[in-house]
Amino acid sequence: MESILSFGVALLVAPLFPGIILKVKAFFAGKKGPPLLIKYYTLVKLLRKGFVYSTSTSLVFRMGPIVVCATALMALLFFPFGGVAPLLFFQGDVIVLFYVMGLGRFFMVIAALDTASPFEGMGAAREAFFGTLAEASIFTMLILFYRMNGSLSLAGYFTGPEAISQTAPAGALLLLVIVALFMVLLAENSRVPVDDPATHLELTMIHEVMILDHSGPDLALIEYGSFCKLLFYASFVAMLIYPFHQFGPVLAMALFYGAVALVYVAIGITESIMARLKMNLVPKYILTSFTLAFFAVILSMGISQ
Amino acid sequence: MNYFFAALGLVLTGGVAALIFHRQFLFAKGFSLLLTVAGCALGLASLALPSDGPAADWSLTWLQIFPLSCSVDSLSAFFLVPIFLICPLAAVYNIGYQDDAGASLKTMVGVFFLNLLLVAMALVVVAGNLLTLLLAWEVMSLSSFFLVLYDFKKETTRKAAYLYLVFSQAGVLLISAAFAIIFGSTGSFLFAGAATLPADIKLLVFFLACAGFGSKAGVFPLHIWLPHAHPAAPSHISAVLSGVMIKMGIYGIVRTYLLLGSQDPLIGQAVLVLGMASGVLGVLYALGKHDIKRLLAYHSVENIGIIMIGLGLGMLGATLGNPVMAGFGFAGGLLHVFNHSIFKSLLFMGAGAVVKATGLLHVDDLGGLIKQMPVTGRSFIAGSVSISGLPPGNGFISEFLIYFAAFHGLSETGANLILVMLAIISLAVIGGLAAACFTKVVGIVFLGEPRHEELRSVGEAGSWMSLPMLLLASFCLVIGVFPEPFINAVFRTVAQMVPALTVDHVLVATVGTNLAWASRLLLLMVLLIMAVRKAFSLRKEVARGPTWGCGFTRPTVRMQYSGTSYALSIVSFYRPFARIRTIWSGIDTIFPKQAAYASRVDDIAEIALHRFLVSPVAFVLGKLRWIQHGHIQLYIGYIIGTIAVLLLIFFL
Repeated sequence: MESILSFGVALLVAPLFPGIILKVKAFFAGKKGPPLLIKYYTLVKLLRKGFVYSTSTSLVFRMGPIVVCATALMALLFFPFGGVAPLLFFQGDVIVLFYVMGLGRFFMVIAALDTASPFEGMGAAREAFFGTLAEASIFTMLILFYRMNGSLSLAGYFTGPEAISQTAPAGALLLLVIVALFMVLLAENSRVPVDDPATHLELTMIHEVMILDHSGPDLALIEYGSFCKLLFYASFVAMLIYPFHQFGPVLAMALFYGAVALVYVAIGITESIMARLKMNLVPKYILTSFTLAFFAVILSMGISQ
Repeated sequence: MNYFFAALGLVLTGGVAALIFHRQFLFAKGFSLLLTVAGCALGLASLALPSDGPAADWSLTWLQIFPLSCSVDSLSAFFLVPIFLICPLAAVYNIGYQDDAGASLKTMVGVFFLNLLLVAMALVVVAGNLLTLLLAWEVMSLSSFFLVLYDFKKETTRKAAYLYLVFSQAGVLLISAAFAIIFGSTGSFLFAGAATLPADIKLLVFFLACAGFGSKAGVFPLHIWLPHAHPAAPSHISAVLSGVMIKMGIYGIVRTYLLLGSQDPLIGQAVLVLGMASGVLGVLYALGKHDIKRLLAYHSVENIGIIMIGLGLGMLGATLGNPVMAGFGFAGGLLHVFNHSIFKSLLFMGAGAVVKATGLLHVDDLGGLIKQMPVTGRSFIAGSVSISGLPPGNGFISEFLIYFAAFHGLSETGANLILVMLAIISLAVIGGLAAACFTKVVGIVFLGEPRHEELRSVGEAGSWMSLPMLLLASFCLVIGVFPEPFINAVFRTVAQMVPALTVDHVLVATVGTNLAWASRLLLLMVLLIMAVRKAFSLRKEVARGPTWGCGFTRPTVRMQYSGTSYALSIVSFYRPFARIRTIWSGIDTIFPKQAAYASRVDDIAEIALHRFLVSPVAFVLGKLRWIQHGHIQLYIGYIIGTIAVLLLIFFL
């Protein structure tokens, strides 16, 4: 019951948090900013609209948003929000989840190529490239997590007495991982400094340019999928920051979403004080994250032996 | 083994019948197809019959001194399944693919050699002693050589076939050397003798055999013939070569490993390192290639790499006494052999359908084909998802098993730990790059707008060609969504193959069930979201218009992102391993008229082989060219001189 509730809450609040980022950015710019619920309004508006399809596109273009949204939702099904056991879990589910999200990326990219637009092709190529690097970084973190508590599932990482937290043995390594994972979060969810969601020049976009031709409910599905994906990564970081499992479920949940909100504030601050990187620096940026994670793994060899 | 030999007899008769009746094109095609399919069905059925199994070994002595023997054990049976499954599908595909009655004899020669190849491959995996294996191996190499040579009128084909011949003969030389060591120290052709060798000799035998079999399998850096031979052969042949024949190299490596029974960790480590190198570099070069069939050939190198990673983890786990790592490693590697044979032959058939319809092979010449060829396009996408190792395709299942093995190897220490970590990271990199490469192929070839006007009028492949593709695509999904029986079967094979290994059956069953439910859940989610989208699209207007040109009002199809530009940034990231050469005429006037740009990605193995082996050898041999002068009297003199010298050495 708790699990269903926590999944439902996650689905409901996923569009709320991006509003926080906008608020933080507005604060830095000295503006009032859009209302906190702006993303809900956007989704409702999009869902009420009709469709426009390019004559160049085929069935793949219509499948794209569906697969993107389905894969993001599937990731949330397995996540133990606030240490509450998720709806589903099994040994090895993280590998499945990151591959499922890879399927989402696959369809996102081919849907973009389906439009025959050179800009969308450019965005697709970048998405595919940066994705391969981010995957290496993520799997390095999974190696570390396995070495820390011998688990291969998100529920195994964050629930039970052996949970990964900064209070556990080798908890200091998490500092490196938190930074590395936050960097991957920014890269995988198309935030500054990898991609700028607010830019107006298609030539410099990654994610936004790939969805140029989607419209109406299709666009809503993609947007909702990307909110869920961002929530997944932000929750991952939040779970690493603070151990919640010693509290009761209600308090844990409140604390957890507080930590998630902090992660979003951090994203907002990053976006406000940093410019986006030049495209040729992005691989180095993601490799930095990989190096941090790899370094943590090397340190773990010293600790556990 | 009576049914098994009857099956091979039927297949061989089918091949010979095709040659005999080549004047009646349709009859010859139909009759040989019937015999081939019947033979393969009988062959598959014979695997299920207990009386046809190990109890019924077969042996005979040929020419007094050559003992031949055949026997089927679980490993042979496992490798026989793709042989008997993929080859008949390729034969069915060929009915539609080579439908030119004018080239009847040539087509029928192709059918004959394909059936001969099938028989030879089946004999390779059932060979019961060293000699039988070598003989069958040689028949396999030669028949596949003639298949590569099919379009012998093209110079590139002749070169490719020659390169293949050099590699396969060098490979068989190494295998013969390995077997000769076994024969030399035991005095018999029996497989069993290998286990009695001293430990360091075992290592030597393994590495010789590994190099020999690896050159057939396409292990880096011995893969050079693959990207030349696969594009040269007709597509149904490429499907068999890449889907089935190169796996015989894997069979050889596994068989040698099992026969030697060596516990040296070096073997597992070497296989693992070779696997990682083949996997990462294979997919990298695939990204850099834009000829569909050459690209698919490099993906074979990549997948052989994944298989070798699995097997290497298995061997290492067996040595270190880590049953989970060993069991899942072997199982993942073997299952990937089976999975790869399915999706790779599917992809080659898809590429063949594209080539037949358009006559073009370069991805940047194609585009938008899914509208004209929906069946080919959709099955190609299914194959692409599977080969990229993404759920719900079958490739994911085997990659998951290998990941599972690798993560359980993280409890090891020292060099083994580092290797296992690198294996996980390389698997992740391979997965990402493979997805990048197949989004390129699918996106550039099948999606978007056609890059030539003629492409708008091409038609779908005929039903003889679509049927095998649809079947193979559905196999991909069925194995992905119902993986349990396949995982259980492959673990049974592993259990019989390495009896010392005890794999927890409960764990295997749980993993299978979990993977099955994860795939089904994914499909369910997709259906659910589809329903939601449907609900929101009721009574909505659907407008159609051109793609938004970002303010540019006169877009043309030539402005689409090309495969070259799509892949270039990724490939240049790995630059020391992939040499990129660009030819760019430059723009030097204010109103430039014409500019030319070309870029190609070179394989470092090919460059190194040329620079460090072929050139020095050619230089030295060039100095000895005076020996060859064309005077037959002197050649006879050489022979007499050699014999005299040998006799002198022998008797003194």
